[in-house]
Amino acid sequence: MHNVNPLDARELTRRYFLQKSGVGLGACALSTLFQQDSQARGNQSPLAVKSPHFPARAKSVIYIHLVGAPSHLDLFDYKPELQKRSGQLCPDEFFVGKKLAFIREQPKLLGTPKDAQYEYQKCGESGLDISNLMPHLQTVADEMTVIKTITTDQFNHAPAQLHLLTGFGRFGRPSIGSWVTYGLGSENQNLPGFVVLITGNIVGAGSSAWGSGFVPSVYQGVEFRSQGDPVLFLSNPKGVPVESRKRIIDSVNQLNQVQFADISDPEIETRISQYEMAYRMQTSVPDLMDINGETKQIHEMYGTEPGKTSFANNCLLARRLVQRGVRFVQLFDSGWDMHNGVFKLLPKKCGEIDRPIAALIKDLKQQGMLDDTLVVWSSEFGRTPMAQGKNGLGKVSTAGRDHHKEGFALWMAGGGVKGGFSYGKTDELGYAPVENQVDVHDFNATILHLLGMNHERLSFKYQGRPYRLTDIFGNVIKDVIA
Amino acid sequence: MMIFGSFDRHTKQSLRIFSILGAVLFYSAGVDAADRTIDFVTDVEPILHEHCYRCHGEVQDKGGLRLSRRAAAFGVADSEEPIILAGKPDQSLLIVRIIDSDAGDLMPSDGDPLSKEDVETLKLWIQQGANWPDSAAVAKHWAYQPITRPIVPKIKNHNWPLNPVDHFIARKHEQQGITPALQAEKTRWIRRVSLALTGLPPTLEQLDSFLNDSSDSAHEKVVDRLLASKRFGEKWATGWLDLARYADSNGFQADQIRDSWAYRDWVINALNDNMPFDQFVVEQLAGDLIPNATFQQKVATGFHRTVTCNVEAGVHPEENRTNQIIDRVNTTGVVFLGTSLVCAQCHDHKYDPFDMEDYYQLFAYFNNTPLEVKKTGGVTWDFYGPKMDLPLSSEIQKQREDLGLQIVDLEKTQTELISQVKKSYPQWLKQIAVVDSQNQWRTLSIQKFSSTGEEESEILDDGSVLVTGTIPDRTAYEILANSDLPQITAIKLEGLTHEKLPGSGPGRGDEDRANFILSEFSLQVQQDQQLDSVPFSNATADFSQVNWDVSGAFDGDPKTGWAIAPEFHKSHWAIFSLASPLKLNNSSQLKLRLEQNYGQGRTIGRVRLSAYSGDLSMLNTPGDLTELARKEKRSQKEEQKLLTYFQDQNVELVKLKKQIKTVQAQLKKTDPPTTLVMVEMDKPRETHILSRGDYLSPREKVTTGVPKLFGAGDDYYPPNRLGLAQWIVSDHNPLLPRVTVNRWWAELFGRGIVTTMEDLGSQGEPPTHPELLDWLASELKSNGWSMKHVLKTIVLSQTYRQSSQFTAESNKDPENKWCSRGPRFRLAAEFIRDNALAISGLLSDKMAGPPVMPFQPDGIWRSIGRNQPKWITANDEDRFRRGVFTVWKRDAPYPSFVSFDAPDRTACVVNRSKTNTPLQALTLLNDPAYSEMALGLAMRMLNEPKRHTDRDRIIYGFRLCTSREPKTEEIDILLDLLQQERETIKKNPDLVKERAGLKLPGFPHKTDNSQELAAWFAISNTLLNLDETVTQ
Repeated sequence: MHNVNPLDARELTRRYFLQKSGVGLGACALSTLFQQDSQARGNQSPLAVKSPHFPARAKSVIYIHLVGAPSHLDLFDYKPELQKRSGQLCPDEFFVGKKLAFIREQPKLLGTPKDAQYEYQKCGESGLDISNLMPHLQTVADEMTVIKTITTDQFNHAPAQLHLLTGFGRFGRPSIGSWVTYGLGSENQNLPGFVVLITGNIVGAGSSAWGSGFVPSVYQGVEFRSQGDPVLFLSNPKGVPVESRKRIIDSVNQLNQVQFADISDPEIETRISQYEMAYRMQTSVPDLMDINGETKQIHEMYGTEPGKTSFANNCLLARRLVQRGVRFVQLFDSGWDMHNGVFKLLPKKCGEIDRPIAALIKDLKQQGMLDDTLVVWSSEFGRTPMAQGKNGLGKVSTAGRDHHKEGFALWMAGGGVKGGFSYGKTDELGYAPVENQVDVHDFNATILHLLGMNHERLSFKYQGRPYRLTDIFGNVIKDVIA
Repeated sequence: MMIFGSFDRHTKQSLRIFSILGAVLFYSAGVDAADRTIDFVTDVEPILHEHCYRCHGEVQDKGGLRLSRRAAAFGVADSEEPIILAGKPDQSLLIVRIIDSDAGDLMPSDGDPLSKEDVETLKLWIQQGANWPDSAAVAKHWAYQPITRPIVPKIKNHNWPLNPVDHFIARKHEQQGITPALQAEKTRWIRRVSLALTGLPPTLEQLDSFLNDSSDSAHEKVVDRLLASKRFGEKWATGWLDLARYADSNGFQADQIRDSWAYRDWVINALNDNMPFDQFVVEQLAGDLIPNATFQQKVATGFHRTVTCNVEAGVHPEENRTNQIIDRVNTTGVVFLGTSLVCAQCHDHKYDPFDMEDYYQLFAYFNNTPLEVKKTGGVTWDFYGPKMDLPLSSEIQKQREDLGLQIVDLEKTQTELISQVKKSYPQWLKQIAVVDSQNQWRTLSIQKFSSTGEEESEILDDGSVLVTGTIPDRTAYEILANSDLPQITAIKLEGLTHEKLPGSGPGRGDEDRANFILSEFSLQVQQDQQLDSVPFSNATADFSQVNWDVSGAFDGDPKTGWAIAPEFHKSHWAIFSLASPLKLNNSSQLKLRLEQNYGQGRTIGRVRLSAYSGDLSMLNTPGDLTELARKEKRSQKEEQKLLTYFQDQNVELVKLKKQIKTVQAQLKKTDPPTTLVMVEMDKPRETHILSRGDYLSPREKVTTGVPKLFGAGDDYYPPNRLGLAQWIVSDHNPLLPRVTVNRWWAELFGRGIVTTMEDLGSQGEPPTHPELLDWLASELKSNGWSMKHVLKTIVLSQTYRQSSQFTAESNKDPENKWCSRGPRFRLAAEFIRDNALAISGLLSDKMAGPPVMPFQPDGIWRSIGRNQPKWITANDEDRFRRGVFTVWKRDAPYPSFVSFDAPDRTACVVNRSKTNTPLQALTLLNDPAYSEMALGLAMRMLNEPKRHTDRDRIIYGFRLCTSREPKTEEIDILLDLLQQERETIKKNPDLVKERAGLKLPGFPHKTDNSQELAAWFAISNTLLNLDETVTQ
């Protein structure tokens, strides 16, 4: 039902108007637009809940993107052979004829250090491999499906972010969160359907990473900030107390009502309702952002501190957002681009996110939300099994890894995916898939599938052709679905 | 009705055949059929196109018939009579229905009958066998047909139309059974047309003069005034700049600012000058290739230099370049051909007649410009151009010449002095080799360390201070210290490493980039109850970062300073020589201040200060130099280090060096601004079809060429961008005028005649008014491509003057696709702000120049990468300039524009969304920029001399916002609000000051009565939020 259905504001106004004027949708065979949309939607909001194509496993998504790309080889894809051969020149086929972002001379292999800090454990009942750098995550292994064979087309940050998050390595297309809210709407009309939480700098692709491209901009991600107003311009200016604000909004709406009585443009009524919603957001958003009321146990579990900007706080906020019916929450955390000093930097960065992510999964499970909330761990690409730079070896403190698009690991949890499951296999040195390769389009198709959407039918007609998140590719990885 | 429907065959058949025979006999007298062979493509199709296709073509298939398709044309009608029967014109309904009114309404039913010649041509063609070649089995899609000027249709309601536009609209009204809306009130029309043409509301004077003008030409006078206004170009540039994806930054990671604003100004000026639209197109695509191209024609080529550029380290420059050209081809397709070519990048277009060869032939036109990045490091490429200097005023030009001469003079003196001084260099070398200057340095004993950044500090055993705790953005260390030396001639400042510092320091802000920036270092001495500044004359350092020389640390300019990148994780020192020796006594106290203003915690983590009392000329030679001087063999680098140090000991030379630097800095300040332009390389690149658009997968070679569909006829177009541009504006390309007038129509009515404005191809929506579209297109071409002429025609039409009120009649046309009422839609982002600025009396009419930074909240710009610009809110009229001049940074565009659907301009956007969201409400209610405007409007209402009562003031403000008089009901709502606010303020007097303070530095207006201002703020805040205020 979603294909060829440009549900933009204009249509909404029209639909609204049709209802107001008592002309049923069925009676109004205006175009093919509605023929495929025979199920009349009662709600006027573009964010109104829409039925999926088939029963969904997940209702909402918490999508964690680690900007810069963490070293998956040192976290999830255990390669003893790489450790053994660490320091040897890499095989020719890893380098000759390949394009690498930074490496320009035949590099040496770089294994995970043989040190307790970096050791892998077989975790949970499933025995999933997870590094000691993520001790908390190790405890939720039985909830996770790790896909070890993701491949992408792009090996520079911004294009690769666009490729993963919009399905195309250049600007102009809607992001995955926009697609999902466009397809499903949102369950809470007092909050945006797609919320973005950021720690660190803005990702290289900029706001296009959560932009709406050519779908209506009401589906773009809205950043909730941890400093200043959580939503831009949420708080009243100094000198405008709540009673004045309420009075002003009431006056605006009364005057708009007078105008509506005169002109009858349904757009005016929509505006009235948006002002009411803005007023409600002034209370609902601060309530949402205020984590003081969470129990001590929750704070300890996540490592959260009220009022602080932290990834942990964002994880807790993500749960609170999903709890309130927000469809898609995307967390960005920067600082994972470790060309140098990967073994020095990785423990520090993992330390920032390990506990909160594990806590998020446990918390969702405790609250009975994990079954229909899909948690995604993503990065724009992986990192090479080869060391970058001449000084990349010998000194553990300076060794780094370059960008790697040929095969890397991402994982999902909850929302209908198998627990404690590993999918796909890379070669013994962790360079490329040898079994069950998964393109980023397959990954995205699978996310949509879990949300009850056929990725080939979730489309938007633009410039004369239907566009999809998965471009013209994508196969759902059925094996990872529980 | 069924056009080719059935009728009573038995009674009329014979009659009809008789009359046909008569007609055939009549014509055959004039033309000898055997002499003329009729060709379908050249003779027949143009007739069908002109008379038949509008109802029986690709757009419409009335009666289920498409004469545009061979299969259908050779089929039968509902009556089972053949439409075209080869060899038998008299039995072909096609002929029957155009000549025999007995067979039903004579076709075409909506226009004049075919000429005798045309009828004869059709008949002859059928007689000769009706040869319809395979290549034309389906007629060209409507948009690819040549533009013929449609006949203005006849309509029944003669009183309604004001100009031909209305005839086309009324014709559809009559067909759809729609009664058009009444004329809008004059206030609504002038507001609508003012916002549409200039993006600004009418002033009250303009409003009143129009309302008082009862002449026939009143409307026309308004339109002429608006079209002549400079504000016109500012308004219409905005949509064009969306198409041109114009922005002020590169896009991608490292989204740095680059200058291309002269192009934006070119667009505004060209629109204001009503430059013929074909010229407007040619200059933007290929102004540089026009023979004897003018300066402005080159500026115009900025159109295709607006593409994004990825300078993220590791990006392959060729990939970057290929992506840029793909963007140029795709944008050219959408903007000038209304066609999405994207599909043909990877495969032949599925729906439209473009193949991969077409695509890469277009690609070839753009494939001859140089790389836009230059290598600046291992895998680092920086954006550089190509760019062109903008002209300078003769005054500044003169100034530059003078400064240049000064530098030449100073450098000459310097060279002379160096050769003179150098004579004593060998002697000096010998001397310093024996001096053990290290021992002459005495660490200052620190009495007190304080800092504005509220860090923690600890004095270590070696006399250094370790700074820990909070990492403030910026800080100043204030140190009180003693020295047991009797006199001081120099101070040494060391930034030392320490294990507790991130990345071991010496900076504190970043583990990897452990830099510090010492903005200003100063020394004062407190003795004999007097505090004196102690000036430095010179400074040297073991290492200074490029552009951050240690001399910047005592020049009084807080923007310059000493930094050490990329020499991180090492200790560094700088020595500051005192201008004259400082005598100390027992009670003397030294006050040292280390200002570190850079931000991001680029502050020194461990600092040690020492003093020197020896002879300056011999100085204090740092230990490593002494070591060097002792060496028997020195590398060139080492020799240079010594020599530099030696020269720096000469006060005269140092003075000269500083002077030269100052003049150079002055010269740099007068550097001309630049703009990005297209430049053609002498030797063109080879172009290949690229498999899936991948630069690494070239296939067969192609050369330049326009899409085969159109052909270029016999006309010659040079095989370069100029040729492409000339073809685009030629008669061979019927798309340009259609695409263009459609966009203008949409800008005025909120929806296009073709609603899929980005795609007029076969997958786009068909036009609602195909003849109107072609009429406007031909009107554009036949009036010297005058944009203003077309706009004027449209806005003066009855169609545009209609009321936008929804009525029962609107049920027949809910989307207003038949223009059954006037347009009504929310203003675009920039105009919401422009409009509010105008209403509040704050709007600046300053045009042109570098982009400006109005107010935006902190923390919006925070990208990764090199040379990130900082947002500095303007504290002068730049804060109140029109939105078109606001800086557009692609990864974080101006937030209140984003709320109102402005794109990030990373790619060409034809049609912005028009959403209605709570974030928009929050912006207008609470954005400090809008609070400031509300304050401006409140002052206007209070200060207006002729208004004394609350009621009068409300009417005044209401008219400013909506252009109309408020109803009593509306006045009452506002009076009520005012009264309640007055009471609230009385109870809470703090509100008075707080509301009066909702402005930023440089706010131009004033009022004496802040008590009343506070209450009226609520009124103006309300008025600026009305749906009507933000709607045109």
